[in-house]
Amino acid sequence: MEGIVLALFVCLLLALVTKRYSLPPIPFYILGGILIGRSGLSLVTSDEISRFLSQMGLIFLLFFMGLELKIDKIAQNPSTVITSGIIELTVDMGIGFVAAYLLGFSLQDSLVIASAFYVTSTALAVTSLIENRKLMMREAETIIWLMVFDDVILIIILACLSIGDQNILFLFLKIAGALAVMYALAHYGKEFMVGILDRSDELPLLFTFGAVLTTASFSMYLGIPETMMVIALGIALGTTDPDAFEQHARPFRDVFLVVFFVFFGITVDLSGQMDFFVIGIICLLAILSKMLSGFLIGLFVHGSVLSGIEIGGSIIGRGEFSIAIAALYASPPVAAVIAAMVVVTSIVGSFTAKYTGRLRHWMSSPGRRGPHRRVHQ
Amino acid sequence: MSLRSVNLPGVGTKYEFTTDRGDTVALFFTKTGTIQMYTLQRGCHTPSAAEMTPVEARRLGNILTGAIIEAESESVEVAFSALADLRITIHTYVIPRDIAGKTIEDLKIRTKTGVTIIAVSRKEGNIINPPPSFVFENGDGVVVIGETDQLKKFERDVMVH
Repeated sequence: MEGIVLALFVCLLLALVTKRYSLPPIPFYILGGILIGRSGLSLVTSDEISRFLSQMGLIFLLFFMGLELKIDKIAQNPSTVITSGIIELTVDMGIGFVAAYLLGFSLQDSLVIASAFYVTSTALAVTSLIENRKLMMREAETIIWLMVFDDVILIIILACLSIGDQNILFLFLKIAGALAVMYALAHYGKEFMVGILDRSDELPLLFTFGAVLTTASFSMYLGIPETMMVIALGIALGTTDPDAFEQHARPFRDVFLVVFFVFFGITVDLSGQMDFFVIGIICLLAILSKMLSGFLIGLFVHGSVLSGIEIGGSIIGRGEFSIAIAALYASPPVAAVIAAMVVVTSIVGSFTAKYTGRLRHWMSSPGRRGPHRRVHQ
Repeated sequence: MSLRSVNLPGVGTKYEFTTDRGDTVALFFTKTGTIQMYTLQRGCHTPSAAEMTPVEARRLGNILTGAIIEAESESVEVAFSALADLRITIHTYVIPRDIAGKTIEDLKIRTKTGVTIIAVSRKEGNIINPPPSFVFENGDGVVVIGETDQLKKFERDVMVH
């Protein structure tokens, strides 16, 4: 218990510092965790309670993602979304997988690394668009839709990784049954739920928490991946009153997710045979690969090299979802690689996102300076 | 002028319009609660942006819809911004010729519409809190406070007499 208190105190300090300097908080939570955890000062070890709280963080992260995911919206401008999404998927997944495999990871580990390597942090990308005041750029919409596409692919990745050696048909039937129940409840219980969410007492919070927890524990009982089920619950409840659910799920997500990140850092094992060469290569490739896919998206979707630089610079940061994949499916050495990759790319990514605008301005100014001067005089 | 609105997942709602002269204004109501306004001059490629809190955005909206905002009435306006959730509106009107010469009492402004005239601006000077016996002159500027619906009623029932 004291461990969790200490961890939360460290997070509070880190949150204050990162907000003050508008830095991405996720890498600092992980670094803070590494510092006080088994690879650092060994002040805090994970226990039953912290594992439970971390799992809550993961479940609420995924539930929230489901709530915000409007798959039908992709259909509104499908060609751009799918073109850019497929470019990103092939380039980043491909580079990540080949690199991991050539560096000597097993097939399964390479797949996990490639998935974590591919999934851009939606939170980082969106926050940097808002904070750097880039929302009006035409590339911003491409980036936002790309994040939605990422989320959809993430669901597929989670599904693939969690199948394991179960009987696929039986699993599929169980999932289909659970989904049918969930959607029926969301559909027929809509008015009841809206009524509850409108109340100003503790009921909305209790109901949201209960719904997520019930779904998670039922899927564990049925032996189907709870990660997918909470995303599905989010999507189903997103058809009722998504704003109210977001409002009531946010406090749980915010607190538990910080616990999740810091305890991920605490349990990272850097003491084993860590190959810094491997980590270095993966981190470098993680940055270059997103630059490349962003560049190609800019070229294909907007027909402009500058757009490509802008998009590439904005999608470098890996974050919450990569850590989620690592926490769920990675072996300790792979988890360490992913932790390092998230820390490096999210910090580098926040700087590139900040300075692509300047770079772009600088690159495009010689051509535009002439006519502009005439206009002003 | 054509107005477009898009719901951007994870970000919020975007409103964008292009003026007849080709300048573009874009507004984003972000999920973080702030409002970002971008303006892009025709022929330019880099927009300029301003980030506002909801209160600031409402204040800007008041300016744009024609509420009185003057440097010396700044303190009044702060209180007004804070009360905006009560949907209290302050509006200015110019007294037309056909109600000139009548008093506030004659026009039954308070009983008929519910609004209050809090100030009158006249060449000779401003009159704050005019009494019921106050006589309007042609061209007086009046400051009226009330709810939006009451003000609409005032426009409909009193101003067109």
